[in-house]
Amino acid sequence: MSALGELGSLRGKKPAGQLPDRGGGAGKVYKKDNLAAYLFLAPWLLGLFLITIGPMLASLYLSFTDYNLIQAPQWIGLENFTRMLSDERLHNSLRVTFTYVFVSVPLQLAVALLLAVVLDRGVRGMAFYRSVFYLPSLLGSSVAIAILWRQVFGTEGLLNQVLALVGIDGKGWISDPSTALGTLVVLNVWTFGSPMVIFLAGLRQIPTMYYEAAAVDGAGVLGRFFRITLPLLTPIIFFNLVLQIIHAFQSFTQAFVVSGGTGGPSDSTMFFTLYLYDRGFGNFDMGYASAMAWFLLVIIGAFTAANFFASKYWVFYDD
Amino acid sequence: MRPHIPPTARPRLRALAAVAVASTLLAVSACGGDSGGNSGGSADGKITLRFTWWGGDTRTKMTQQAIEAYQKDHPNVTIKGEFGEWSGYWDKLATTVAANDAPDIIQMDEKYLREYADRGALLDLKKAEGLDTGKFEEDTLKAGEFDGGLYGLNAGINSFAIVANPAIFKAAGVAMPDDTTWTWDDYTRIAAELSTKLAGKGWGTGAPGTNEAALNLWARQHGESLWTQDGKLGVSAGQVTAFYQQVLKLRDAKAIPSAEFVSQDMNAALDQSAMATGKLAMSWMWSNQLNAMSKAAGKELKLLRVPSVEGKADANGSYYKGSMFWSISSRSKHEKEAAEFVNFLANNTTAGNILLAERGVPPNTEIRSAITPKLQPADAASAKFIQDIGKELGDPSPAPPVGGGQVEKIIQRYTTEVLFGRQTPDKAAQGFIDEVNGELK
Repeated sequence: MSALGELGSLRGKKPAGQLPDRGGGAGKVYKKDNLAAYLFLAPWLLGLFLITIGPMLASLYLSFTDYNLIQAPQWIGLENFTRMLSDERLHNSLRVTFTYVFVSVPLQLAVALLLAVVLDRGVRGMAFYRSVFYLPSLLGSSVAIAILWRQVFGTEGLLNQVLALVGIDGKGWISDPSTALGTLVVLNVWTFGSPMVIFLAGLRQIPTMYYEAAAVDGAGVLGRFFRITLPLLTPIIFFNLVLQIIHAFQSFTQAFVVSGGTGGPSDSTMFFTLYLYDRGFGNFDMGYASAMAWFLLVIIGAFTAANFFASKYWVFYDD
Repeated sequence: MRPHIPPTARPRLRALAAVAVASTLLAVSACGGDSGGNSGGSADGKITLRFTWWGGDTRTKMTQQAIEAYQKDHPNVTIKGEFGEWSGYWDKLATTVAANDAPDIIQMDEKYLREYADRGALLDLKKAEGLDTGKFEEDTLKAGEFDGGLYGLNAGINSFAIVANPAIFKAAGVAMPDDTTWTWDDYTRIAAELSTKLAGKGWGTGAPGTNEAALNLWARQHGESLWTQDGKLGVSAGQVTAFYQQVLKLRDAKAIPSAEFVSQDMNAALDQSAMATGKLAMSWMWSNQLNAMSKAAGKELKLLRVPSVEGKADANGSYYKGSMFWSISSRSKHEKEAAEFVNFLANNTTAGNILLAERGVPPNTEIRSAITPKLQPADAASAKFIQDIGKELGDPSPAPPVGGGQVEKIIQRYTTEVLFGRQTPDKAAQGFIDEVNGELK
């Protein structure tokens, strides 16, 4: 820990004033620093109130109204929420979203961890590989990639052409309701770069002395991975898990573009967010869509809370 | 947001995670608003009108030319075009109207006309100064009329039809059908024969049921109608079932491509559709698209009447549809100028000569005869088709009620279910009816 401790104290000595309350200076300086801090925060605060909190409160109000975008909203109480109970397409969209989250996130994290461990072994040209693997994360939720996905998995797409070379008859992966969601899962797994980079950073923090000691005691590669790497990496895994679950629940662009905005074929890629959009902008039912947004907030909040609660039992903080 | 973890952050990770989570959560339910420029006037009498339409490249170029011609004669008016693809068009229009920022002149579709008009977003064109409908063919105004007002001015006439690629018929050695006498069985048989002869290189026909128009024709052939005059769903579960049984007949005879192929083609852009890429010998299409489709296919295509139950063309349910409408926002600050511009689009020979029949055959009979000699072969053919079927038409088809705009997506979904064998025709029919009824307000 000594190396880490040193690093920590070095950072603490930096006169950057990033933590003014710890500076222990006179009250005046403290207040001055505060003002400066708020000034620097101002752009972000303005954004927070004008384009985040404001619209959020508006959508909370709208969720209790019947609002068709053109006429003034009318208060209808909880009707939007009770309607959700009997909306079968909404139930289907929940099924689709949950399937997507629970299949794609573990797969994505597994791939990210695997590659991080391999790269951490000191592969030559690691910086290059790291950038290459990170690239899909930057591109993954872009419209261009989603369009590319259509081309790759289409009836005459790249995948089928490759399959044809080895004599397999492909199919329209995106246009078949039984495989369409699978292509989106693959797309999400493909963007493993951002959790991978975080894993890499985490792996770097594990003191080598543990490995040295384990090696002396005769632990194999797997033993070291499962008994040292994995336990010490649990905070990072937890962090990635929470972020990626939230991220997956909010996925929209991929499904929207790949399905041509329909959530099709047969609602098989109708994410909750896509259905929300469809209700709001396709069907002029903005009250209902707002209620759905708040429902999604509750779902994500519940999952995140559950995640934090469960973390007590499996996340190991090596402090 | 790309969280970067400092090397010593282990103790602080929990806090960091919490912050990251909180800020990500905040983004969930916030919807961005769209604030745009306002169309306003200025002291020197110059005004700006905003004009929005959907369509491809050809339409955009023609429309821009018409705008330029108008501006030349009206130096005090500037018209700003806003255009896009069909799919994104309605989302954008809904947002701008909601934000009280609607364009002054709106290219409107039948499916959404009532949606907007019933909510008071459109101007009653009967009350608009400077708009003359005297030269319009009778009946063509009706589709944009309800509750005593005129909310959309017919911008062109079209009709749902079958488009055929004679080159593929020839290559397959199949004779073109006589479309005045063909039945659904003939259609199925001919399409199946084409598929067989093309041996995997193409198929006989695209599937009906990728939009609601074919179902409407089917219903009209059987004494029903998709919508009723009083704004309700007019087709029975029995007829939707029969329609889907017909779709299955086509599938089982291999007259249409595989379910996956149909599902993929359903929302393809026109120039990437299977008809344009020469994979289909026949397909279902609006007649005014003949020109664009012929250009995309690089072949001279031909319009055919839709098949009927007993082989009688005058009982095939066809009707003239307003391919699209001109509407004016009820919140326009320049109602008079907007109406004058719409008048120019509809009644001026200069505009007619530029726009030709790209939006369908002009409903103004004078303009129609003025432009007929100037039409490109494909436009001339679709204009002739519209004229030819004129004597066979049944009653006009009632416009979709509020909420009816959703029917296209709904029928696409149930057609997919049926084609993949995930739902039987009767189950899909009931689902379709329940869902459409649920959307009507």
